[in-house]
Amino acid sequence: MAKYVLKRLIHGLISSFIVVAIVMIMIYSMLDKNLIFKADTVYTNYGNNEKVAYSFRKWEEYGYLDYITYNEYLLKLVVDGELDEDTRASVASFGKKPENDSEKVAEYVKKFNDYCAANGYTVVRLNAIMMNGKKYASGGQQQLFAYKDLPITNRLWTYVKNLIHVDNIHYVEKLTGTPLENQGLTFTLHDPVYGGQKFSPAIMGNGTYYKYLFYCDNKFPFVHQNLVKLQLGTSYAVNYGVDVFDTMTKTQGSYIMSTTTFPTGLTEESADDLHSATFVLGSRDANKINSDRFTDDYTNVSTIKAGKSKMGYSFTIGLIAMFLAYLIGLPMGLLMAKHKDKLIDKIGTVYIVFIIAVPSLAYIFLFKAIGGMCGLPTTFDMESTSKLIYALPIISLALPRIGDNMKWLRRYMIDQMNSDYVKFARSGGLTEGEIFRKHIMKNAAIPIVHGIPGAILGALVGAIITERVYTVPGAGNLLTIAINQYDNGVIVGVTLFYAVLSVVSIILGDVLISLVDPRISYSGKAR
Amino acid sequence: MENNELFTVEGMTDEELFARVDHNSLDSEKITAPRYSYWRSVFRVFFKKKINIVILSVLAFVILFAYIYPVVTTYDRFSNLMDGSTKHLSPKAAIEKFGFSIKWILGTGASGQSTFDAIWNGSRISISLAFICAAINMTVGVLIGAIWGFSKKIDMFMMEVYNIVGNVPNILLISVLVLILSPSFWSMVFALTITGWLFIAYFIRTQVIIIRDREYNLASRCLGTPITRIATKNILPFMTSVIVTLLAVEIPSYISYEVFLAYIGMGMSDMSLGRLIYEAESAMVTPGWQFEFWSPVVIASIITVSLYVTGQNLGDASDPRTHM
Repeated sequence: MAKYVLKRLIHGLISSFIVVAIVMIMIYSMLDKNLIFKADTVYTNYGNNEKVAYSFRKWEEYGYLDYITYNEYLLKLVVDGELDEDTRASVASFGKKPENDSEKVAEYVKKFNDYCAANGYTVVRLNAIMMNGKKYASGGQQQLFAYKDLPITNRLWTYVKNLIHVDNIHYVEKLTGTPLENQGLTFTLHDPVYGGQKFSPAIMGNGTYYKYLFYCDNKFPFVHQNLVKLQLGTSYAVNYGVDVFDTMTKTQGSYIMSTTTFPTGLTEESADDLHSATFVLGSRDANKINSDRFTDDYTNVSTIKAGKSKMGYSFTIGLIAMFLAYLIGLPMGLLMAKHKDKLIDKIGTVYIVFIIAVPSLAYIFLFKAIGGMCGLPTTFDMESTSKLIYALPIISLALPRIGDNMKWLRRYMIDQMNSDYVKFARSGGLTEGEIFRKHIMKNAAIPIVHGIPGAILGALVGAIITERVYTVPGAGNLLTIAINQYDNGVIVGVTLFYAVLSVVSIILGDVLISLVDPRISYSGKAR
Repeated sequence: MENNELFTVEGMTDEELFARVDHNSLDSEKITAPRYSYWRSVFRVFFKKKINIVILSVLAFVILFAYIYPVVTTYDRFSNLMDGSTKHLSPKAAIEKFGFSIKWILGTGASGQSTFDAIWNGSRISISLAFICAAINMTVGVLIGAIWGFSKKIDMFMMEVYNIVGNVPNILLISVLVLILSPSFWSMVFALTITGWLFIAYFIRTQVIIIRDREYNLASRCLGTPITRIATKNILPFMTSVIVTLLAVEIPSYISYEVFLAYIGMGMSDMSLGRLIYEAESAMVTPGWQFEFWSPVVIASIITVSLYVTGQNLGDASDPRTHM
């Protein structure tokens, strides 16, 4: 059994990555790269060479290509120790045209060209565009850069390789080229975030990306880690610089202020979550606010907010709706099957036809209008303390699923009612109630049970229309927003997330029915 | 003999009473039974229920109206654009302003256009989309599904394709295709059909597998019937009711899906029902303007419900077991 599940899981994961590859081909190769500038005001304001350079910069950020400027190349040489800072400064500004380059600059430009040719980059040199002899046209400064398209295999491999990020103490060393002076891990029993008095064990890193690798607090599950992080893809337009998984799981809403003691000893009311501190090179010196509060470059902290995360809202609403759907839909389907062709069956059928045939948008708006008349809140406000805001989204999600459950349970039960074993049981003298409870119900429930894991995991994904209509800040709209804003990182990340969820839910469903139905077995010779 | 006397008619000879019939060996081979036509029985069962006649007339009326009304009337969305007093009128105000005409019985929209005209023009586009997509997807899906169900080798391959393509988010696929091609009617058809047939084929495949190994098919194969004839003569007739029922779900689902896509801003540029609903969404929350929003929603619902119910009942009627 375990072997079978493992095999299916590996198979499913491979399929998921093929899906990711297809999606990558679709969004990176088939779509026009210039679409991302459609709503970009910065792009329209730039002119001439500046516009070209800007578009390449953006394309790099969106993951279309690898882009390197001449100056970045020189800085790289300095880091590698092949060039000293003074020479770099003297050769950094190149001529308006290649002919104008001084001898020294021409040497380094040639080096840059050679480096690019060796690594498969295409060099672009844009000559200065002048208004007259002295003055540059708007954005007309000369540009020298190189770019390289990322092949799909390369892109997929990098994506898979970076999917699971394990923090290590060499992170800063790789970034700057020099290790921090006291690089390593420290274990403390008294977490400095709580003032250093309270007992609270934590493992802190120096040289790592996250400052706190393990820590404890008063929120479920009480012990938290930052050592292993899932990186589904970095967002660009939707939530700048934040990973998709974090976008889905970070809390939203208004800040929760608490008295916080910063590492320098400064105490103030703040919503900063010091446990989330990450390394940003040179940030302490660059910013007075940071240097007042932090003693090192671990200054990038997230904030504690009052609301749930995107996934949290979607899951809460989806899960309650799912429970309601089973709690109401299954007994209704049972009644319909029991009183086939009677009044209750006909009423149920009308309801099912209504739910299936009418466009979902139509009845969600209908529920919204009816709910609004009954005084229920029709827009979802995170600041509201009333639990009533959940009522309409839950009802809108639950009602179609109730119809679905009714339809299928009725169908399965009626199929079972006509089978031979039921006739045999009846001739054997069992009462109708007994036949229903002990025989028909059990057999009809098997296909229903198969769908339960899918329904639970599906709640994580959220619902597109419901969340849009009631303005729920959930995860359902993430994909459509990302598509509208051409946020490729988010599209890929969300696709992988969906694909893995669907693979896992089918496998869990298969496992669950083999537990419920002893006739189904995935091991042994029967298969 | 008593019996002979009983059957003898007074004053008639045997020659007058009996005529000799020639024995024809060809005629004697014929089996005389009432002529049976499958589709005639289907429609006999279908029309036996009064509700079906009502629903079918509603459906026929809606479809005919959607195709004929826009042809015989002229509709210009922007004809009243410059006249501010014609915008967002309730039916009563519109009739007062323009005089009574069927054009104004649903009021006017954001640019002073007749909501009634807009709805029927939109319905025509939506219904056409649904029928074309369903025709393509069902034809391709049923054919491929039948082959898929028969061949074990193709099954292995197609299951992989299904697992992969089924996990590519549909919205993403549609929006990418619409962006590449332009948001026109035919690119929408293309986007909905490029993978749409796969799900129908999968459904048909499961049905074929269920009846493929039934005894009568095995017997037929033992007698040397070719696979193609088993598929067309043994299996396809068995699946007629399944296919009709599937069609009943499919056609309205394209209308609903188009409404959904338009609502999330990924629809086509034609003023289909979905796009009408999308553009009138802001009118829903404005008091007095609700008519603009609810009328396309109600018409869309009437079309989908009548299509669905007709199809379901036709599906029930096309099951030969109900022909008794």
